[in-house]
Amino acid sequence: MTFSVKRFMAIFQKDLKDLYRNLYVSSTALMPLVFAVIYSRVGEVPLAMYLFVITLSLALVGTFLQCAIIAEEKEKNTLRGLMLSPATLTEILAGKSAVTIVITIIVTAVSMFIMGFSFDGRGWLIAGILLSLIFFIALGTWMGLITRSVLEASVYILPVMFIFGMANMFIGLADQFSFLQVLEYTPGIQLEEIANLGESGAGFDELWKPFAIIGAWVAATLVLAAVTFKKRMMD
Amino acid sequence: MIEVKSLEKIFGDKQALHDVSFQVKKGETFGFLGPSGSGKTTTIKILTGQMRQSSGTANVFGVPVSKLNTPEYRKRFGVVTDNSGLYARLTIYDNLKLYADLYGTSLQRIDEALESVNLGSEKKTQVAKLSKGMTQRVLLARTLLHKPELLFLDEPTSALDPANSKHIHNGLKELNRQGTTIFLTTHDMEEADHLCSQVAFLNKGVVQLLDEPKQLKKQYREEIIGIELKDGRELELPLKASSAEEIQQYISREMVERIYTKEPTLGDIFVEVTGRELV
Repeated sequence: MTFSVKRFMAIFQKDLKDLYRNLYVSSTALMPLVFAVIYSRVGEVPLAMYLFVITLSLALVGTFLQCAIIAEEKEKNTLRGLMLSPATLTEILAGKSAVTIVITIIVTAVSMFIMGFSFDGRGWLIAGILLSLIFFIALGTWMGLITRSVLEASVYILPVMFIFGMANMFIGLADQFSFLQVLEYTPGIQLEEIANLGESGAGFDELWKPFAIIGAWVAATLVLAAVTFKKRMMD
Repeated sequence: MIEVKSLEKIFGDKQALHDVSFQVKKGETFGFLGPSGSGKTTTIKILTGQMRQSSGTANVFGVPVSKLNTPEYRKRFGVVTDNSGLYARLTIYDNLKLYADLYGTSLQRIDEALESVNLGSEKKTQVAKLSKGMTQRVLLARTLLHKPELLFLDEPTSALDPANSKHIHNGLKELNRQGTTIFLTTHDMEEADHLCSQVAFLNKGVVQLLDEPKQLKKQYREEIIGIELKDGRELELPLKASSAEEIQQYISREMVERIYTKEPTLGDIFVEVTGRELV
């Protein structure tokens, strides 16, 4: 398998330039900053609230941005052009994902800065966030491949937002609505688990479980996205 | 360059291609002619690895089309279809720069490719502001960037006015002279006549005729000489020695406005062979 850095960079630069001019998608991706500003004025904020904004950033930026970028390529018949060029599947997906990764990290970091949250001494949490980011981007890639337009992507993103982006908020209702207990296995809740274990000074013998659950989500969505992409390459 | 044998494509209960066979030699401009829905685009999709055939073999550059999805092979061909797209928010230059980087060609080629489609002065224009004809020309320029050995063109001038069509035709002829093999689908018989060294008539997924345009015209020519007289009468005489004396008389009496042979167009031949109009 070949990987050309030049082709990867060409796709990355094109997507960055295109996104800069796409007001609808770029303004949606900045939504977590609004939440960060609101929560920064609340005063004392519990750890769960920081995790809520982090997970929201991952879902709204990581998943929606990736989904919208790919859905628009399909809508405007530009993805086929890329697929007929020398760029490989890996280069195309890596170039697009790199844009999403950079913007997600910037939005998440700025949100936490606004809320006054420090990542110092929270290496486990950073590792968990980066692992979760792969899941959210793979999910966005798959959703971009199954939707036909940016408008359709905007509708499909809603359940993802509720299930994966706001799990940290809805889990509080699990005592009243038992079906919500399934949210305990979402990456957002697992991130909260990592953060809490990290705060209590736990080691990897306790931390492996949330990492394994997020890892399982990553593996499942990566396979789903790759299989769907290969299928969509052919008419 | 292209070798197709007994190619079949079935979509559900509809057979789009029936036992299609043809060869395209290096340096040829091959016209695949037929009306909408005859299977032209399906053939291009199979030949460029975008669709799998149901049966039969299709080789490009001497390898099965299923092996074309490597960067090395993709650098050797280019495709323009009627639904190829551009990035509307970016300029023409930015669109072409992406592909110049993907194909590893110099940025100087962008200017050359744009000149060849008569868009040299428009490179800073945003694609969203282009007409359909200009968009089609940018797509063509994008495909010419890497000087492909083999060029697949699906109705390349369908959205263009006659002046720009002529410009594109001249560009394609020059490209062909430089060695690029061209596989062209069109329903414009004049275009095919002007550009192609060999044509295949495709009707309902079947290749009904395959030959050089010159040979086809010779084969389907009516053996008649037409004479238009100055008094408005039109005469048709057999193309035989016996007509010579009669023609000479009209000429010597200065009665002749115009003399012509009745050579069919490719469109006429298509209608005669398939019984269908090219729409």
